[in-house]
Amino acid sequence: MPLTQKNIKNNNLLLDIHDLNVFFNTPEGISHVVKDVNFNIKKGTCLGVVGESGSGKTQTFFSITGLLANNGYAEGEAFFKNTNLITCSNEERRGFLGKSIGFIFQDPMTSLTPHLKIGDQLAEIAIYHKKINKKKALERAIEVMDIVKLPSNRDIINSYPHELSGGMKQRIMIAISLMCEPDLIIADEPTTALDVTTQAEILNIFNDLKNNLNIGLVLISHNIGVIAETSNEVLVMKDGEILENGETSKVLTKPENKYTQHLLSCIPPWIGN
Amino acid sequence: MIKFITKRILIAIPTLLIIVAFSFFMMRIAPGGPFTNERALPPEIENNIKAAYNLDKPVYEQFYIYIKNLTKGDFGPSFKYKDFSVKELILNGLPVSVTLGLSSIIISLFIGSLLGIIAAINRNTIFDYSVMGVSLLGICVPSFVMAPLLSLFFSLYLGILPTSGWNNGNIMNLILPITALSLPQIAVISRMMRASTIEILNSNFIRTAKSKGLNSSYIIRKHVIRASILPIIEYLAPASAGLMTGSIIIEQIFGLPGIGRYFVVGALQRDYTLVSGVLILYASLLIFLILITDIIRAILDPRVKI
Repeated sequence: MPLTQKNIKNNNLLLDIHDLNVFFNTPEGISHVVKDVNFNIKKGTCLGVVGESGSGKTQTFFSITGLLANNGYAEGEAFFKNTNLITCSNEERRGFLGKSIGFIFQDPMTSLTPHLKIGDQLAEIAIYHKKINKKKALERAIEVMDIVKLPSNRDIINSYPHELSGGMKQRIMIAISLMCEPDLIIADEPTTALDVTTQAEILNIFNDLKNNLNIGLVLISHNIGVIAETSNEVLVMKDGEILENGETSKVLTKPENKYTQHLLSCIPPWIGN
Repeated sequence: MIKFITKRILIAIPTLLIIVAFSFFMMRIAPGGPFTNERALPPEIENNIKAAYNLDKPVYEQFYIYIKNLTKGDFGPSFKYKDFSVKELILNGLPVSVTLGLSSIIISLFIGSLLGIIAAINRNTIFDYSVMGVSLLGICVPSFVMAPLLSLFFSLYLGILPTSGWNNGNIMNLILPITALSLPQIAVISRMMRASTIEILNSNFIRTAKSKGLNSSYIIRKHVIRASILPIIEYLAPASAGLMTGSIIIEQIFGLPGIGRYFVVGALQRDYTLVSGVLILYASLLIFLILITDIIRAILDPRVKI
């Protein structure tokens, strides 16, 4: 039974999504990849989104942030601060992006501009949204580097992406999303490309953000272990539909949906319980 | 940096030596010689002339003498332009050819990249299709067809530009040759720039830049151009080679006193020293341009270490 939380109206509500649909124009016709999705995200909580590849979990959040490919379009409502992110103008959406909504991508190796210094990539977002000078922006960069537990020395600020390890780059990505003190961070498979130790460190950072900074967090992953460790609520997606939505502990221990049960049974016994 | 440049210059010396040897022996293999005439000269006179230019000595000895003179900066006398040394001829023609080549390369780099970027941003629009269509035409129509057409239209029909001549580098005399020389390069560069910009626009780091909420003109300026211009920089050296050979024809058509014509005329008349001299110049220019290209690339892309 999908939980429709339409009626819960409280100040904690950060992102409220109703009947969201995403389509792609393809040479074979229109492909409907996200179908009538309803869910919401609250402050200081983490929503885990699980599903196999092609289940539409990434496209759901790309549509909200206007990052869909050129042949894609979305319909429906996604209210963030009383603005419908689906129908608002690009200018308006850009005002939220980076400033109130941070996005962290799957592949840290290729997600940073190779020819710009790390400091510039961190600073530009604050210079652009907060209209502060570069010196202040770099001071803020040092602050967020502390939050993501990077040694906040000048070396990293002055280095180029190829000089950092994958884990460091992903911390930089998180730091970039934190530069303007966002309300919502969407992390799309943030640990998939990283090794297990780095993965654990990154998840710890997410837990800190959620608990200490009161940030709403979306964690998209196909790794149920990652979701179980970090999220309060979980959304199970398949073929563009939400199959199950509820508290993580409930969904992962007593799944109601067949697919969720199947998904959980795929975890090797020495990891799951 | 200095170490890199010294290394490259040291590598250039053997390369140039091979080019010199190659051109020297190729010219000697070609039948005939600089003093072969329809009317045979009396043997005494011919021998005297040959002795004056060291042509009576064995080829390997001639080569040794030539190289020895080269190290002193002496390119030898021209066999056909009497009273001129090769050095004088080259120094006379060089300003013309350099003006032509350099302005063509700067113009085609600037216009080509600009058109390519705009076409990539407005992909699959009328602008994109028209730029790509016209550039296909630019690639297909060789400059020796374009040049007479241009001068026919602008000089004869409209009468606004002179048909030919150098006129001490008057800008009006330069417009047509530079246009004819640049058009094919603009065509190639705009297509390359479009392809590489589209590739960069679809890359992950541009998605990151978009997710930062930056506006598109800022993203293009800061994140796209420096990455997408790299293939163009690498194309710069072959493009200059194309301009050099192109300028040989263009100089002929527009009657410009550049070094291109010495190359052609020298080769036809077996003016051994003149051809070798021009060839050495072209080769050194190209080696120098490749070096410059590598330095620019290292400045633009921090991953390249020199």
